Amino acid sequence: MWADTLFIVLISVCAALFGEGLTWLLVYRTEQYKRLKADVERQCKKIEKKKEVGELSGLRQKKKLERDEDRLKTANRDLSMVKMKSMIVVGVSFTLILSMFNTIFDGRVVAHLPFTPISWLQSLSHRNLLGDDYTQCSFIFLYILCTMSIRQNIQKLLGFAPSRAASKHSTSIFGPQPNSVQVSPYK
Amino acid sequence: MSAKQEKNGISSSKNTKTKSSYYLIHRAITSNSQWPDKDDFLDVIYWGRQILGLILGVIWGVIPLKGFLGLLLFCIVSAVAVYLYAFTFQNVDEEDYGGAWEIVKEGFVTSFAGFLAMWIIIFSGLHFKD
Repeated sequence: MWADTLFIVLISVCAALFGEGLTWLLVYRTEQYKRLKADVERQCKKIEKKKEVGELSGLRQKKKLERDEDRLKTANRDLSMVKMKSMIVVGVSFTLILSMFNTIFDGRVVAHLPFTPISWLQSLSHRNLLGDDYTQCSFIFLYILCTMSIRQNIQKLLGFAPSRAASKHSTSIFGPQPNSVQVSPYK
Repeated sequence: MSAKQEKNGISSSKNTKTKSSYYLIHRAITSNSQWPDKDDFLDVIYWGRQILGLILGVIWGVIPLKGFLGLLLFCIVSAVAVYLYAFTFQNVDEEDYGGAWEIVKEGFVTSFAGFLAMWIIIFSGLHFKD
């Protein structure tokens, strides 16, 4: 069981590094991205500072804050647009890589789960496996778990993850993102 | 700027980063440290939690712990460890971070994924043959 599981970890690490490398090539190293990111960070700090100090006494200050927040939303949207290009390329690459490995590991039990997953997770954890033993784990489930942990940590290690303040105020072109990233509205 | 000056600039920046990492680790292991930058403290919580998740995954896999109990115990141990570290060892003011919950939930999802992966790998490797 070691060979398959460790191989899947290796695939996750390589895929995460590949994804971040590709994104760096297409997005992170461009002047436009650096400028937009600096704008967003600056605006976030400005807004957080104003809220901290409590500069909201008058109507004028409130309107100023609203204007700053609008400016931040625009900067965030522009940043999302810049990242969109790499997201599409990385998404397509990952899909190809995933379908290749899915074919290789099709019908293969790569690990045994120490718990029985809940029913709606079983379609993922027991994907393309024969039998009713739902503690048998398929490639895709373990790969997803490894990727969730490894990719996020690699992004943070390399400094590509957005700051907490920026995550809090982030919006995509589809509108405000759900607050899935840890955010600290600290004083 | 000459190539030599640029090289010196890059190596000096690396030295600064290394020094600040050592300083961060030093503060993390020293009780009642000062945290002027709140992000630094939250980073310590985040990375500590990732390491804790992997360690618990190894332990749970070796014992082996199974079922919902293993999941529940992880959640409890992880939350209690972070709470004790933040409010007993470091004595931070929760108001500075928007409440205890903001600290306790920092890095939970990623550490949970890492814990699950490690638990599954160790459990399968030690207790099942190919």
